[in-house]
Amino acid sequence: MAEPILLTPDTEFIKNVLASGGGDLKKGFQCATCSVACTLSPEDSPFPRKQMILAQWGLKDKLLADPALWLCHNCGDCTTLCPRGAKPGNVLGALRNQAIQHFAAPSCLSRMATSPKAWPVLFVPGILVFGALALWGPKEITEPREFANVFPLHVLEPIFFAVSGLVLLAFAMGLFKFIKGLRSSGADGSILAGIIPAAVEIMTHKRFKECGKEKNRFWGHLLTLWGFAGLALMGTVVGIGTMAGFMHTPLAWTNPWKIFANVCAAVVLVGGLILLGDRLADAEKRKATTYFDWSFLLILVGIVSTGIAAELLRTGQLVTAMYTVYFVHLVLIFALFLFAPYTKFAHMAYRTVAMAATRKRT
Amino acid sequence: MTQEASGKPDAKKVLVIGGGVAGITAAIEAAEAGCQVVLVERAPSLGGRVARMNQYFPKLCPPACGLEINFKRMKSNSSIQVLTQAEVQDLAGSPGDYTATVKISPRYVTDACTQCGECVKVCPAERSSEFDYGMSKTKAVYLPQANAFPALYALEREACPAGCDLCVKACAYGAIDLNQKAETKTISVSAVIAATGWVPYDASKITNLGYGRCANVVTNVIMERLASVSGPTQGKILRPSDGKEPKTVAFVQCAGSRDENHLPYCSAVCCSASLKQATYVRSAYPEAKVKIFYIDIRTPGRLEDFYTKVSSDPMVELIKGKVAKVEEDPATKDVILEVEDVLHGKKITERVDLLVLATGIVPQTQGLPAAATLDEFGFVDNRPGKTGFYGAGCVRRPEEVSATVQDATGAALKALQCAVRSAHHG
Repeated sequence: MAEPILLTPDTEFIKNVLASGGGDLKKGFQCATCSVACTLSPEDSPFPRKQMILAQWGLKDKLLADPALWLCHNCGDCTTLCPRGAKPGNVLGALRNQAIQHFAAPSCLSRMATSPKAWPVLFVPGILVFGALALWGPKEITEPREFANVFPLHVLEPIFFAVSGLVLLAFAMGLFKFIKGLRSSGADGSILAGIIPAAVEIMTHKRFKECGKEKNRFWGHLLTLWGFAGLALMGTVVGIGTMAGFMHTPLAWTNPWKIFANVCAAVVLVGGLILLGDRLADAEKRKATTYFDWSFLLILVGIVSTGIAAELLRTGQLVTAMYTVYFVHLVLIFALFLFAPYTKFAHMAYRTVAMAATRKRT
Repeated sequence: MTQEASGKPDAKKVLVIGGGVAGITAAIEAAEAGCQVVLVERAPSLGGRVARMNQYFPKLCPPACGLEINFKRMKSNSSIQVLTQAEVQDLAGSPGDYTATVKISPRYVTDACTQCGECVKVCPAERSSEFDYGMSKTKAVYLPQANAFPALYALEREACPAGCDLCVKACAYGAIDLNQKAETKTISVSAVIAATGWVPYDASKITNLGYGRCANVVTNVIMERLASVSGPTQGKILRPSDGKEPKTVAFVQCAGSRDENHLPYCSAVCCSASLKQATYVRSAYPEAKVKIFYIDIRTPGRLEDFYTKVSSDPMVELIKGKVAKVEEDPATKDVILEVEDVLHGKKITERVDLLVLATGIVPQTQGLPAAATLDEFGFVDNRPGKTGFYGAGCVRRPEEVSATVQDATGAALKALQCAVRSAHHG
């Protein structure tokens, strides 16, 4: 006889999974319909049947290091066919939320960022920083009015680059722990070699496309991702450009970068609204959507809509309104960036790394 | 064709709806305890689902064996009145004093029939055989089943060509009467037993399992007919697509059962049924392989010995995992199924010659009078304290034949108690 294995269930973890969108977890009875229904689940290590029982047993460490959580794209095919209504798709979503919270460092920030009660706190750093800047910062009034009159770029840029540095450090700490976990769970692919192909797979939504249904989510997510990537590129280029002195904001409407930025903003807005609408339209999805999902989507849509509104108000020279909306815009961006490692934003990093680590060498 | 119940006006009288093994048992038990019984059956012959089996539990006998004995008990008991092709249209009154309205459809064949079969020889028209689940055809005039009870032919008038009377002319006994009309009877009874049985779950609703889409995907009730000598293949288990002898046969357990999208309850008998059908395959084809895909094998009580016996056959493999995808090879019509082998944690794709869906039991409550109360799953609910109307057999809960017989005996006792109570107080 083999040595008996002692399982120590983490009951707190089970409760968290139940509370964060995996409420029907315990209905699962291991028939394995889900693993076959899933078009993305690989033959040699199928999911989500195994993940369902690990979650029911509360085997937190084994589960959160499991790359399969990130190979799931929440198509919902498993949930549709599930004979018990256990909704494995939602459970895996909840597990991903738990994984981000688990690996993100420092954990006190993680707890805060995932607590609905602390929602207003997410915006406090931005309000303080940009409020102080607006009240006491250097001002140089021009006609027509520009955002830089109140929020000068030479102050904003260093703030954002500094924050980006901190955020990257926090991401690096979380991912380090995550990669250690991945290795222990047997995902041994080279991450460096796999990261480019994984990124290409993500940008093209190759796996997302294999989902049996959910075409809305495919388009919503694709648009959001591409628009966001475009805006990130644009922000970096303009940031460096203005600091180096070869770019001057506001860019003219006809400037190619300006056109690109506006297109990207519109694309994110459309994508984000599709994703929000998709979750709102279906009662089941609404039920499975938690603060973790809502806050991320709302901040994202908030950023692009305030950005577009501020731009229009500046064009119309509605001075008070344009500075106010721009202030909100800055506060939202600050919240998104500062808390990126602790919110759903981080799924981007974890998914890319997990996909890289599980890539088959060809 | 029927014996008139010869009871005194104040006799204890029980109505049994359904002439399958549950109804037959309830009728005989009640009659042998001194009750007058009216047994109403919708089909032209008694026997129900059991008559369509190849073998049945617990002893794996052919159905004729058990049914013959019961038909004999019935014939020798003048207290049982059997009405075939009859349906209860209305049930009025209260426990101890019911009035049932029974509509009897014309059989067009009288008691003079000797089953000589001359009518069949001349009959030009065909009808689909419900007895063979539509897999075969009979002439419009037909013997409902081998060992039919009553032992009479029947005529499906809707299938007859206009103006045809060839069978009437061919019958030397004058047993065919095309002018028979439907009649309605009112019967006073003290208690009612509903033994209307079950229908197999409609497998085409389980779209991912391929029934109706793949030629060689059949259900377990069809498998019984394929294995039965009275069936469409004379007892040879053959692939529907090409009549080939299957070398690999797979079974999908819980096909629709224990599934909130289909039947949320366990149908209780399908695990034993598939194990039993595995023995059909194994005894017919010693080279054939059987694979049974299951969530849990549920063989309670003595059936566990049967499970142990069948699963010890090296050619029978039991694999834990519910089949969730079924496709057909367009060239060979082989069935390709996909499943996760749970105990090994791998997804496997199997190619088999024949796939049997172990579909479940749906209570046949259609047309039952309002006195029937149903539970959350649609089965007749014998609530404690409820008297006068009792469910028995598979209309009350999914169960195999021996449990059905016990259940029907219990229902007969309940009905008797109700009848006795009313005779005393009434």
